Amino acid sequence: MTIVVVMEQVPDVVEELAIAPSGTDLDRDAVSYVLNEYDDHALEEALLLAEASGDEVVAVGIDTTGELDQTLYTALAKGARRAIKLTGDFEGTWLSTRAAARLLVPVIQELGPRLVLTGVQAPDDLDGQLAPTLAALLGWPHASVVIGSELVDGLVQVRKELWGGITMTLELELPAVLGVQAARQAPRYVPISRVRQVMREASIETREVEAPDRLVPAVTALRVPEQAGRAEILTGSSAEIADRIIELLRARGLL
Amino acid sequence: MLTTPERIAFVLLALASLLLTAHGVSRIVRAIARGQGRPNWRLFFRRVIPVSLDILLQRPIFRTRPVVSLLHAGVFFAFVFYGLVNILDLLEGFTGFSTLHRSGVAALYNLIADLLSVAALAGMLGLLIRRFGLRPFRFNQRVLLLPSVRFGISRDSAIVGSFILLHVGSRWIGQAVRVAESGQPDWSQPTASLVATLFHGWSEAALTMASHVTWWLALGLILAFLPYFPYSKHIHLFMAPLNLILREARPLGQLEPPTSSDGTIGAERLEQLRWYQLLDAYACIMCNRCQDVCPAHGTGRALSPAALEINKRYYLNRNLAAFAGGATSPPLLEIATSKEAVWSCTTCAACVRICPVGNRPMLDLIDIRRALVNRGDPLDPNLQSALESLARYGNSFGKPARQRARWAKELPFSIKDARKEPVEYLWFVGDFASFDPRMQENTKTVAQLFQAAGLDFGILYEDERNAGNDVRRVGEEGLFEMLVEQNLAALKKAQFRAIVTTDPHTYNALKNEYPAYGFQVPVYHYTEVLAELLERGILRVQQPLRAAVTYHDPCYLGRYNRITAAPRRIIRALGLELREMPRHGENTYCCGAGGGQIWMDSGGQERPSEQRIREAVALGDDLRYFVVSCPKDMAMYSDAVKTTGYEGRLTVIDVARLVAVAIGIDGVEREAAPVESEAR
Amino acid sequence: MTQRIAVLVEHLEGQPTDVTFELLGLARRIANTDGASVQAYLFGERVGHLAESLPADSVTVVEHPALHHLAPEPTARVLAALLPADLPRLLLVPNTSLGMDVAAWVAAALEWPLVAYCQALEHRESRLVATAQLFGGKILADVTLDERPTVIAALAGAFAADAVNPGAPGQIERRDAPAELAALRTRSVVLERPEAADVDITRAEKIVAVGRGIESKDNLELAEQVAQALGAVLAASRPLVDAGWLPRSRQVGKSGLKVKPKLYFALGISGAPEHLEGMKDAELIIAVNKDPKAPIFGVADYGAVADLFEVSEALLERLEG
Repeated sequence: MTIVVVMEQVPDVVEELAIAPSGTDLDRDAVSYVLNEYDDHALEEALLLAEASGDEVVAVGIDTTGELDQTLYTALAKGARRAIKLTGDFEGTWLSTRAAARLLVPVIQELGPRLVLTGVQAPDDLDGQLAPTLAALLGWPHASVVIGSELVDGLVQVRKELWGGITMTLELELPAVLGVQAARQAPRYVPISRVRQVMREASIETREVEAPDRLVPAVTALRVPEQAGRAEILTGSSAEIADRIIELLRARGLL
Repeated sequence: MLTTPERIAFVLLALASLLLTAHGVSRIVRAIARGQGRPNWRLFFRRVIPVSLDILLQRPIFRTRPVVSLLHAGVFFAFVFYGLVNILDLLEGFTGFSTLHRSGVAALYNLIADLLSVAALAGMLGLLIRRFGLRPFRFNQRVLLLPSVRFGISRDSAIVGSFILLHVGSRWIGQAVRVAESGQPDWSQPTASLVATLFHGWSEAALTMASHVTWWLALGLILAFLPYFPYSKHIHLFMAPLNLILREARPLGQLEPPTSSDGTIGAERLEQLRWYQLLDAYACIMCNRCQDVCPAHGTGRALSPAALEINKRYYLNRNLAAFAGGATSPPLLEIATSKEAVWSCTTCAACVRICPVGNRPMLDLIDIRRALVNRGDPLDPNLQSALESLARYGNSFGKPARQRARWAKELPFSIKDARKEPVEYLWFVGDFASFDPRMQENTKTVAQLFQAAGLDFGILYEDERNAGNDVRRVGEEGLFEMLVEQNLAALKKAQFRAIVTTDPHTYNALKNEYPAYGFQVPVYHYTEVLAELLERGILRVQQPLRAAVTYHDPCYLGRYNRITAAPRRIIRALGLELREMPRHGENTYCCGAGGGQIWMDSGGQERPSEQRIREAVALGDDLRYFVVSCPKDMAMYSDAVKTTGYEGRLTVIDVARLVAVAIGIDGVEREAAPVESEAR
Repeated sequence: MTQRIAVLVEHLEGQPTDVTFELLGLARRIANTDGASVQAYLFGERVGHLAESLPADSVTVVEHPALHHLAPEPTARVLAALLPADLPRLLLVPNTSLGMDVAAWVAAALEWPLVAYCQALEHRESRLVATAQLFGGKILADVTLDERPTVIAALAGAFAADAVNPGAPGQIERRDAPAELAALRTRSVVLERPEAADVDITRAEKIVAVGRGIESKDNLELAEQVAQALGAVLAASRPLVDAGWLPRSRQVGKSGLKVKPKLYFALGISGAPEHLEGMKDAELIIAVNKDPKAPIFGVADYGAVADLFEVSEALLERLEG
């Protein structure tokens, strides 16, 4: 029995991002890629589920960046049984969620898992999140913003976070798709030596797939938001700043 | 002198004792042999003389506790000499040979034996009074201690103390009896002759009886005590010199790669430690010197290096047969130390330096960390993010590598890119000096000093990564190797004659760890370079600074690498009055940031850095500056000065800033180091 | 037939959420320009009475136990069943936890285009342009819509609610539960509210909020003192709550609580979009952060690029000493 985790590399938003001259994509030369942090949580949640149920975790990803290997090896080092990489004529492109889902559906159907987990969202989800999209194409029930899950008697019990601490608990018949916000515990650390060992001993299954038409999201133009610039900046030493703050508060009757 | 039945009895008892002892000793040998690796026996011949000299001069012991060391010296010299004494006494028992009333060499021998006996008795009495009256054993509550330890230590001290007192005492009294028997004092044995007066009036039969009794007590006690040896700390007599002699001449700042045994990297159990780590348990004299200098223990945390070694010893004492026979022992985290303790270590090496018998408890802790990290034990969340950031970005700050040299853009000149052009000095800046906003000011000042001195220097810009010193000491060996590889790749692209660094941890890694990976280049700390520039007049002091300051030696500079003079030469050259804190130089006290602590949440009642500020403040109300030469010290002490409430009174300042003010560099505001620089 | 701008009504325990009115307001503005009408889809169990308060031209009501709490699969399936016949010009769905599950599912199932994280939707030269906020808020993407029906997942707090036309809807239509609801694979949907919190930050007049800049749990005490000295309540951004330093009842942001206090004093908060969503409507926002580029300065009224510890100490000195 299998649990599939879909993982992707996304532009690292910690870094500075620049827009390509075309205006419809990021300047990919300047971009560094990192594993989507929610996908890391999805993997952790999948590993926890598998540890309890005996399922095998299969990590699947579409290689649009040429840098997916590290993520898949790390997934294997953390306990995934298999890692599958889909390659094709789309390296360097911004793959839309819909296109990615279309590429993944046949692979998922072939693997026949009980659950598909992926991160609740990614920084480049212009045309929506992957989990509900996959669910629609597969015809399976789904839930996103998942903060906890448990496999119970052929069902998966899911805690979905709404807001302000309110949560919704649902039961979904298997197979189902989950968009994970946060795993039950922080994603585990795997020592580099273990990852390197896995790189020597295990291998990633590579599958060549045909690029779908309509790969990229329909962007007209990308732009950088203007800093609203509302803030009046207080300068000076901390003491002077504190004085100014108190002055401001007193002036409005807040102190 | 002995009767035939006595001789027979003695020989039989001796055989029995020696057999039992040999049995115990052989178990110990097999136990230690279970440890990983093997001793390099050739070291024995090379080291036996220098180590013996060291021991004869009692050098390792006198590093601390002068009075106790003196008392010990008395006992020690007596014991060394008593080797000869016991042989001659044995000879006397079996052949009647005696040195009584002889002259020449024999008289000298008598005199030495006589005086040393008293020294031993006095010394032992003093030590016993101290142990049982003045300073009973102390461990703080949170330290893991095997149940048998508390009572066991006292009992062992009592047994050993009594043995020495009785053995030496009865021998000494025995000599007095012989003097009394002979009817006249022997001037070569003054104290014995004095005691002999007590036996005035005793019948000959009584005296003979007494001489036999004292002979039997003196030598018989040895036979009785010998089989107890393997279970007593007294075995340090042999284990300590062995430990010191067989120690590889490896720099303190160079760790051995992790051991690998039955699928475990590092050490989870006793048998996975190295042979010398097991020998440590037998060399340990349970003096607690290491605990006294440990910054974690000193601030109320669960770590005691002493307890670690003592626990190991007591476990082995109670389970020697099984362990020597190959049984699997319980996890170290159950019998030797706690997880909390393991993660409290700052790797300051104070315990290693102070140990008189050459023990290195710090290495055990690092090996346990290696095992924990390798098997995926959950880490402190902040530590985990630091490691993940290091793997991803090459720094622990979560900042892109691209931002590493941002501080350099704020300078009025541009620093050479060592990747593109050859330089004489490659300045390996270090993480904290590059990324921490507070430290960046100091880093810029160092750049300005180098520039003003016309030094040909450059940096690696974004290609520099954390050197990995603390990563290795946190137990993440794989990540350490990855960082080494990345740094070496960058260094290969550059051409330079030497490396200079602003961070002592970086210094230690580049100097002591990287050679094992093929990197052999002179490495300097920036204080060494600045000291030389000042002394050669390349940097000239315009205005001597007049203020009372103290200098804090960074652990990785002062203790690990013995660089204590250069910063002091700078301070003096600037005209400052240097006052030393009690714990200075190689005896410096850790700020608490090392061993990954700076990446973790602190757990103690106070931080070591706060204790240290108090130590500095005690040097006088007029002490102005707490001078540092390490970015982590700067961070820790700046915070500590605030939390201890001495802000405004004591200023933490990097030595480079003082140099910059004294030589009058543009851009370094005088306010940064307001000193009274009126000519005095 | 006039075009329709459709809105999925989000509600929780008998109350429509604020974002519903924001989306209805947006729909109204677009409808006015295009001469279209505003249609609201109201799904749930026993929610019919809410229809009258919705500022829409028409409301389509579907009531069924499976639609209680707007669970993902049922809501999406019902919507997808109705839309092909209704064919609105646009379907506006909130980009919230409830809405996200529905918008992407419906768009994928019907193969309609979708623009998520939408923070602006306006006419430019007779075309509709939707602007999405991506890459942690660092990049905006403009998407010119074509003539196909399009799903827009709109961010809460990005649009103004319609103050004009609060009147009752002209037409309320009840439809039967579609057949799809019989074959659902989602069961047992239960809502859980957190335990009563010690403090309700949504009612506080003054809030001192801390973010990752506070560095460690030990430093919370300082922030607490500042809060007390200002007569304010302590709140936090998500990372601190996730780390367990403060209870979730103190979390401000998209998945936390929305606050509109008189004073929002942000210490060490960078201003990720999810956080801003929760507090940008505060009356007076003062932010302290070491990073001059922190997005929080974009919504703050006053800002200081300074060390929050030093400023806090200085404040305490003045207020307490």
